Amino acid sequence: MAEPLPAENAADIAEPDFAEIVRRHQAMVYSIALHFLADRSAAEELAQDVLLQLHANLASLKSDDHVKFWLRKVTGHRCIDFKRRRGLPQVALDDVPECAVPAKDGDPLLSRRLRQLVASLPEKPRLVVILRYQEDMAAEEISNMLAMPVATVKSHLQRSLAMLREKMTRTLGEVKI
Amino acid sequence: MSVDNDTSRSEDALKRAMRRQPAPDGFADRVLARVAEQSSTESGPARRDSWWRVFSQPLVRWGTAGALAAALIAGGLHYHQVQHDKVERERAQGEAAKQQLMLALRIASSKLQLAKSKVNEINADQTENREEKE
Repeated sequence: MAEPLPAENAADIAEPDFAEIVRRHQAMVYSIALHFLADRSAAEELAQDVLLQLHANLASLKSDDHVKFWLRKVTGHRCIDFKRRRGLPQVALDDVPECAVPAKDGDPLLSRRLRQLVASLPEKPRLVVILRYQEDMAAEEISNMLAMPVATVKSHLQRSLAMLREKMTRTLGEVKI
Repeated sequence: MSVDNDTSRSEDALKRAMRRQPAPDGFADRVLARVAEQSSTESGPARRDSWWRVFSQPLVRWGTAGALAAALIAGGLHYHQVQHDKVERERAQGEAAKQQLMLALRIASSKLQLAKSKVNEINADQTENREEKE
């Protein structure tokens, strides 16, 4: 069941309630931006802008699930716009920042390399991969969010996975993912 | 089977690599500071927002739409009435002008008849005088 917002609309939401919403969703918004842009300061700037826009649009959002859906969608679209507007260069393999939290399991080097490769994917497949593997969204949910046919989402995922696997094999030799 | 295992291993590796990162320290405070700053500097748009919020209520919205529709219909009817009055006035003026012209023609016709009878009388007198002399 959808968790209701602390108040009916933005006019009624006190700043402490909005602060709670920000704290609940900041990691999600920041991580989508970071994985997409591979730039910590750009990701923070974009995430702040998205949350300011959320504050201005809270009146139209009725539940926490709705807020989450809205945040993912707006962050995704803003990432694409941001990259096109700033004309950020394709991410160099060594530019992707280190993970702030050490990996609990798996190879941290492998994870870093994967993030680098994801950040070098074309815009739409990159966003689809981030929503699928960071946010654990189903293809149907991604399709609904990005107004993209399910078949296109699945195709982006399959092609991206194949490309990532091939590049990993090429650069790391025998290491398999 | 091997392909499935590869895919599953790739997906697990991706999930580990792409897991959410915590926002930088003080991120929420910076967002809230920007919200507060925006609220204090943009009182104008905020007021516009509150008007918009009032207008966004269905009753107000439908009421406004109804009032606009009624004003448009009343305006249309008034325009139609003004046009109709104008045509009627022009027709009456035309009719009056026609009556005046007919009267003028009748007067001119009677004057011509009078002149004609005078000429006839003079001609008759001259003929009688000539016969008497002969």
